[in-house]
Amino acid sequence: MNLKTAAKVTVVAGASLLFLAACGSKSSSTSSSKQTANLTQNAELPTMDISKSTDVVSSNMLNNTNEGLYRIGKNGSITPGIAKATKVSNGGKTYTFTLRKNAKWSNGDKVTAHDFVYGWQRTVNPKTASQYAYLYSGIKNADQIVNGKKAVSTLGIKAEGDYKLVVTLDKPISYFKKLMGFVNFFPQNEKVVKKYGSKYGTTSSAMVYNGPYKMTGWTGTNLSWTLKKNNDYWDKKSVKMSSLKFQVVKDASTGLNLYNSNKVDDTILSSTQVKNYKTNKDYKVYKTASTFYIEMNRNDSNKTLAKAFKNKKIRQALSLAINRKEYVSSTLGDGSTVAKGYVSEDLAKNSKTGKDFTSDASVPSAVEYNQAKAKKLFKEGLKEIGETKLNIKLLSDDTDAGKKATEYIQGSWEKLPGLTVTNQNVPFKTRLSRSESGNFDTVISAWNADFTDPISFLSLFTSSNSYNNGKYSSSEYDSLINKANGSDANNTTARWNDMVKAEKQLMNDQGVIPIYQQATSHLTRTSLKGIIYNTAGSQYNYKYMSVK
Amino acid sequence: MRKYLLKRILYLFLTLFIVATATFFLMKLMPGTPLQNEAKLTASEKASILAQYGLDKPVWLQYITYIVGIFHGSLGLSFQFSDQAVSYLIGSRMGPSMQLGAQALVVGVIFGIILGAIGAIKKDTWADRLATILSILGIAVPSFVLAILFQYYVGLKLGWFPVAGWSGFAYTVLPTLALAASPLAETARFIRTDMVDVLSSDYIELAKAKGLSKFGIVYHHALRNSLIPMVTLIGPLAAALMTGSMVVENIFSVPGIGEQFVKSILVNDYPTIMGVTIFYSALLCVLLLLTDIVYGIIDPRIRLSGNGD
Amino acid sequence: MVENPNNIEINPGDFAPLDKQAGPDKEKIAAPSLTFGQDVWRRLKANKTAFVSFIVLLLLFLMAFGGQALYHHDPNAQAPKYANLPPKIPGVNIHGLNGHITQSGQDVDAYKQAGASSSVHYVLGTDYLGRDLLARIMYGTRISLEIALIATLIDLTIGVGLGILSGWKGGRVDIFIQRIIEILSSIPSLVVMVLMATAFTKTGMASIIAALALINWTTMARLTRAQTLQLKNQDFILAARTLGESAPKIAWKHLLPNLSSVIIIQTMFTIPNAIFFEAFLSYIGIGISSPQASLGTLISDGQKNFQFLPYQMWYPAAVLIILMLAFNLLGDGLRDAFDPKSKR
Repeated sequence: MNLKTAAKVTVVAGASLLFLAACGSKSSSTSSSKQTANLTQNAELPTMDISKSTDVVSSNMLNNTNEGLYRIGKNGSITPGIAKATKVSNGGKTYTFTLRKNAKWSNGDKVTAHDFVYGWQRTVNPKTASQYAYLYSGIKNADQIVNGKKAVSTLGIKAEGDYKLVVTLDKPISYFKKLMGFVNFFPQNEKVVKKYGSKYGTTSSAMVYNGPYKMTGWTGTNLSWTLKKNNDYWDKKSVKMSSLKFQVVKDASTGLNLYNSNKVDDTILSSTQVKNYKTNKDYKVYKTASTFYIEMNRNDSNKTLAKAFKNKKIRQALSLAINRKEYVSSTLGDGSTVAKGYVSEDLAKNSKTGKDFTSDASVPSAVEYNQAKAKKLFKEGLKEIGETKLNIKLLSDDTDAGKKATEYIQGSWEKLPGLTVTNQNVPFKTRLSRSESGNFDTVISAWNADFTDPISFLSLFTSSNSYNNGKYSSSEYDSLINKANGSDANNTTARWNDMVKAEKQLMNDQGVIPIYQQATSHLTRTSLKGIIYNTAGSQYNYKYMSVK
Repeated sequence: MRKYLLKRILYLFLTLFIVATATFFLMKLMPGTPLQNEAKLTASEKASILAQYGLDKPVWLQYITYIVGIFHGSLGLSFQFSDQAVSYLIGSRMGPSMQLGAQALVVGVIFGIILGAIGAIKKDTWADRLATILSILGIAVPSFVLAILFQYYVGLKLGWFPVAGWSGFAYTVLPTLALAASPLAETARFIRTDMVDVLSSDYIELAKAKGLSKFGIVYHHALRNSLIPMVTLIGPLAAALMTGSMVVENIFSVPGIGEQFVKSILVNDYPTIMGVTIFYSALLCVLLLLTDIVYGIIDPRIRLSGNGD
Repeated sequence: MVENPNNIEINPGDFAPLDKQAGPDKEKIAAPSLTFGQDVWRRLKANKTAFVSFIVLLLLFLMAFGGQALYHHDPNAQAPKYANLPPKIPGVNIHGLNGHITQSGQDVDAYKQAGASSSVHYVLGTDYLGRDLLARIMYGTRISLEIALIATLIDLTIGVGLGILSGWKGGRVDIFIQRIIEILSSIPSLVVMVLMATAFTKTGMASIIAALALINWTTMARLTRAQTLQLKNQDFILAARTLGESAPKIAWKHLLPNLSSVIIIQTMFTIPNAIFFEAFLSYIGIGISSPQASLGTLISDGQKNFQFLPYQMWYPAAVLIILMLAFNLLGDGLRDAFDPKSKR
């Protein structure tokens, strides 16, 4: 403690004691001719183990420190990764990848086909207890291996020599290449995994990197770390940044204070902050492929409600009563947008017309606000089921967002004559288990896509799907999804149309009530260029980032 | 003395055992699991993951495993950080919390003594009243409010100290000050009350009669005598600091235990919650024991015996 | 007297008793006789700080429990259109109270921006859902006070009961209770509260009250025990015992009144402590759940907007601080007032 600091301490103590909070001004700037940036994350990094990554932070870090067969680029496009050439044969059921020979791990080892075989086998191995192993479903024998019925070595992946990889599928998967850009399909260096054993991926040094950056300074539990340019990366000439510093900031006010004091170059804004920074040149909205919607329990143990939720007019009335625009802008205000349907926007585009899925499959009446019509339909619906009033419980999380949602929807729904709503805000996991066991009247659910294809959303509401909590059931819908997954799998246009029709069916039935699509608002310095963002999967790609 | 110590240590272990047991069963009531991606897992996948954490076993067996584990220094695996031992987590998060706690204690106690002494010496003057109000404010203003104000006004507006983060001494200043308010207040009140008594005692009158300087009296006779009972304050102050650290560390993004504890509660990471609880209790128990021993040593009037109170 | 003693004239009247009413009586107590309560009240009134605190508390209680009768605004009524409006008091044109706010560096009329008619005004502004902040603060203060009062009442019952029992009975009962207290007080209280509040699935008020009560009774028990031990051997208790009074009756008629000052003083410190812990739990997100509000949740909500709408945190924080100050100062004052030995 030098004298000056000591003096400052005394002064601050004194000043604060007297409660004198004078406002001063401060000017400083990060002149960044150096290619470095300070970024924030709003949660800790829980792991760097490729097989065990489940959360956004680890997926972002792994996506930038490691690389799979492909790297997902702008607008979900597939850009080159470790695979140099790809051949699809056997009606879309066999993929043969030729790997580039100049790809290296940060410990000097070459990246070979065996690393992929090892990594994939490790992920599906029940002993690893990966929480994303289900993504392997569709690759030969994956499901059986995950459930412990077949040996790990039977997985449909084979190395033919060091640089040729053959993957066999049970059935064609139209989005297979996109999956290859997903973190859990990245290669893993067997030597390193074995060396660190259960410590693998628990600190930045107990890990090996084959991507654009290497991680340093992560002790496994601390709140800051650095990504440094990886000089062993095969495409290192495209990487301009020399280092990216990350700091975990959980409190949005703290984040903003850091941004305003030029300590960080990016921060996530909370809703009121958004209101004040909307016009700022640094303001950016990052949409996520995540839709919040209300499910209505058609198998409700309360027979009156079960009957009510089977009534289309009542379902529509409940949807029409919600002023999504007001909710999103006034209450939520974090950049989230009104849901255009159940499938989220900016997820997939029509390969011919380039139009977004949501505009092809748009059913405006399913997400519209019309209180008069809602009241009318509700009255008619009640008459049809022979009731005069309903008492609905609305289930959601006890998080901030969950509470805001229940409070708002309760307010909107109770404007319908004869409807009373009771809110139930429970912990996330309780909400899940209650949804699954059908122990709810209505529940606010959220789904986020694992990869950038509408099927990631749509497969949820087939009659037999276990996430179909409200038990929506439509044979037409089921057959459309079956077609998209089966007979039309290799036909892009037909498959697209199947999915569009399915979405329309779901919306016309008002099978669920979509509310909003989630987004996060950031302040990002305009000097940061070339950050690639996608709404699903590994969202951030810093490979081509630079500071100008 | 030895008998007393043995008895105290026995009670310490008994206390910790009860804490561990109570926490274990309370946590079993919570819906916490290591499943991070629960919304998308099938029942058999969930079962195999739970088996990895030994959560498929009957509760009594889990309990025995846990208690036995504690004796081996193991507090289980965190749910939030995969493959991370709770004991490692606590170990790596301990440093910043300890540093902040110690600094806050020192700052708080020193300023508290000064304020308290001023109050006692200038009893019933404006200086006394000001000191009293300040010390009560230290109790009345919650540390989280103080932390927010410091961060915004001193950190951002004045730019004197870093707003948040943890990389060097400068980063510790604001959280330390936010934390120091409560020990400052407690100390000041304690010292004032005690010194008012001491200042009216006969030996002070004698010292005055002998013509000792005012400073000499206060420093050599009054203050020194008041400092001894202050040792008993350390325990409660440390407990208050633990409380404060939870929000203060969170607001200033300090990688400490308090910050992690709050997060663990919010994500239902119950092995970590249990571990931190046991750690906090052990820390407090040891501190209380130490203060008693120290008190016995510095105050000859107190005799530690094995015969209870 | 210079007169000759021989000249003393003795009248029979000299031997008649004097009129008792006339002349000063040194035995008489001039001031009216005061009961203990009256005496405390007198001393309290003499202590200006404590008396002001008492009045402030009275006002806060009135505001929390009766404010709704005067200020008819539903604390839970949402008006999302009018979310995050700053305070506006009609006729007052001071920045911060006139509905204006600095947004992106410019001074704007937030009410106009939200499309509110000129008749719309919120005295303390609105929160993120457009709820009236004044109404919510009154409501939140009430919840905070309710929690603190109920928890303190439970504390009192358990603490005083066990304290007297422990001190009176002595022996094994005493040792047993003392060990429980010892163990409980070596666990950081916040940790216990956090555990209770989380384990009991965030039921809100009930679990917080239970958690507060479980932890805070130990101090009360310790104090009452010490006091009971002192009183136990005093003559009046011995007299009561000799006369065959039953133990519960002695406790009720003789011990409690003598313990009252200790209990009341301790209560004055327990209540703000409970308020503080409730605020703390709510602040870290495991306390009261919405739409219920407490001072803690209000501060927590306000903190998120502190950079732009500082009033959202300042007002509830001010109420909390004043509440804590008042209780503490009153507690100090009462301690002086109850203790006739204390100088002043």
